Amino acid sequence: MFRHLFRMMWNKKKENFLLITEMLISFLVLFAVFTLLVYYYSNYRKPMGFEYENVWVAHFSSPIKTSDTDSLKQFFELLKKNIKALPDVEEISYCSTNVPFAQNTIENNGVEWISADDGYTRVLNIGLEEGRWFSSKDDVSKYKPIVINSSLKHELFGNEAAVGKMMGEKKEQQIIGVVADTKFDGDYSSAGKATFNRPDSNDVFEHMLIKVSPDANPALEGRVYKTLAGYMKESNIEIEHLTNKRTSINYFALVPMIVLSIVCCFLIINVALGLFGVLWYNINKRKGEIGLRRAVGATGNAVSFQLVSEALILATLSITVGTFFAIQFPLLNVFDLPAGVYIAAILLSVLFIYFLVLICSFYPGRQAAAIFPAVALHEE
Amino acid sequence: MIQLQNVEKVYRTDTVETMALNNISLSIAKGEFLSIMGPSGCGKSTLLNIMGLLDSPTKGGIRIDEQKTEQLSDKALAGFRNKKLGFIFQSYHLINDLNVLDNVELPLLYRKSSAKERRDLATEALGKVGLSNRVKHFPTQLSGGQKQRVAIARAIVGQPEIILADEPTGNLDSAMGNEIMDILLQLNKNEGTTIVMVTHDEHMARKTHRLVRLFDGSQVI
Repeated sequence: MFRHLFRMMWNKKKENFLLITEMLISFLVLFAVFTLLVYYYSNYRKPMGFEYENVWVAHFSSPIKTSDTDSLKQFFELLKKNIKALPDVEEISYCSTNVPFAQNTIENNGVEWISADDGYTRVLNIGLEEGRWFSSKDDVSKYKPIVINSSLKHELFGNEAAVGKMMGEKKEQQIIGVVADTKFDGDYSSAGKATFNRPDSNDVFEHMLIKVSPDANPALEGRVYKTLAGYMKESNIEIEHLTNKRTSINYFALVPMIVLSIVCCFLIINVALGLFGVLWYNINKRKGEIGLRRAVGATGNAVSFQLVSEALILATLSITVGTFFAIQFPLLNVFDLPAGVYIAAILLSVLFIYFLVLICSFYPGRQAAAIFPAVALHEE
Repeated sequence: MIQLQNVEKVYRTDTVETMALNNISLSIAKGEFLSIMGPSGCGKSTLLNIMGLLDSPTKGGIRIDEQKTEQLSDKALAGFRNKKLGFIFQSYHLINDLNVLDNVELPLLYRKSSAKERRDLATEALGKVGLSNRVKHFPTQLSGGQKQRVAIARAIVGQPEIILADEPTGNLDSAMGNEIMDILLQLNKNEGTTIVMVTHDEHMARKTHRLVRLFDGSQVI
């Protein structure tokens, strides 16, 4: 029976071309939506890798106009000491502009470059997987110390230990530790690969992470601001909470998915109505055929099954072509996403299209089954 | 082979009640070739549909091969039609999206048979109606006479004991009509198939064993 129906639908492919095309486009849009959904969901399920609650980030522009190393060091040490002396301030760290949830990156060959001082892991409570974080011991080290994250370690060294290995173009950096992956770009983004670099003594900092106690109140924020302003009279100072920045970056991540989902919804409604209409039209147009099939031995259920099967065959034609295009994404490693994400998205799209077709063809199929054979043959 | 007892068929709408068949009792023997004649709207096709279990009588009963059919379920009726009955229609009722061979195979799809078995039986049936050279053609590529021969092949492919033909020559010229009639006569003579044929053509009806005339839903001969 299946071969018979397939042959019949194949012979009618020109008549069904528009419907097949519509289902194909829907499949591809669904594939895009599901790829995003699966990717976001798999990232969402992974741990954040750091603590962002009760962490503030202070930005200040051009804090000091000197290039003298000693003066710079003294200035930033004193500033740190004074902020830390405030009640409810637990830890402080200077870092580069790409603070967590900052929506800006400093990348080198696809690896995030982060400058972070000795207090960074204490502020963000980042877990160490191997070795250690920066400390005063590194002031006198022969090589420039570097900490890498777990993803980079696995790419470079697999399961081997990374501590002690050299990095950089001239092998001038020595890995002293490996930290857990951190989702600095929000809940829905992947951790990516990252290196953490200890600042030089002549670096000018413009960003400070402040870990405060859970009891910290807006008054403390005011006092932090005043302290910073007291030190940097000509600076623009801004204090943000990482919890707010997380909400904001998550919102931006969801926007493309929401837009695609809306487009997808319209397409699905279109396909559903199209399918419903075509099948409804088919019942009326093919009453003679339905009557004939009943006359030669088809039960009402067999007629219903036939109409549903025909719709599923059309969907299969669309899905086959759609899968051919979709499978190119993991094969060609487009967008550098894991192949599993694409495969899951293809499977979900296939299931969704079949489910949609089944739903849309079920009622017309039942209507066809209810047609009395003599009436159907007479109308022809 | 077929017994109709006091069969009545009434079509009802909200305002009108039409008596299509009125107290028809008829017995058709195995191997008989019966023709039904009468003016348009006298109930010929309704009677044929009732005999073919495509429609149910309002009153009365029908037995086919000693089997009461009133209480049969949809599935049992479908099986009965598939195995015992073959249909030929005035307008052929061929599926234009299937080639000749696939059209003829159609009844066999609703019974247990392998693809090869279906193909062999369909080819054999097409041979009997002289269309072995047209198996890959589509209905739109055939003449009216050829289409009706395909319809006959489809009706006999399942080797039914009864063939019900509703004006099989109605759409054909006399030469083509005679050809179709000859095929039906051969089937009746050689295979012993019971045939009930509705016709408007007196000349064709005279070639059959018995003639039944209907008028306003009642049997007059």
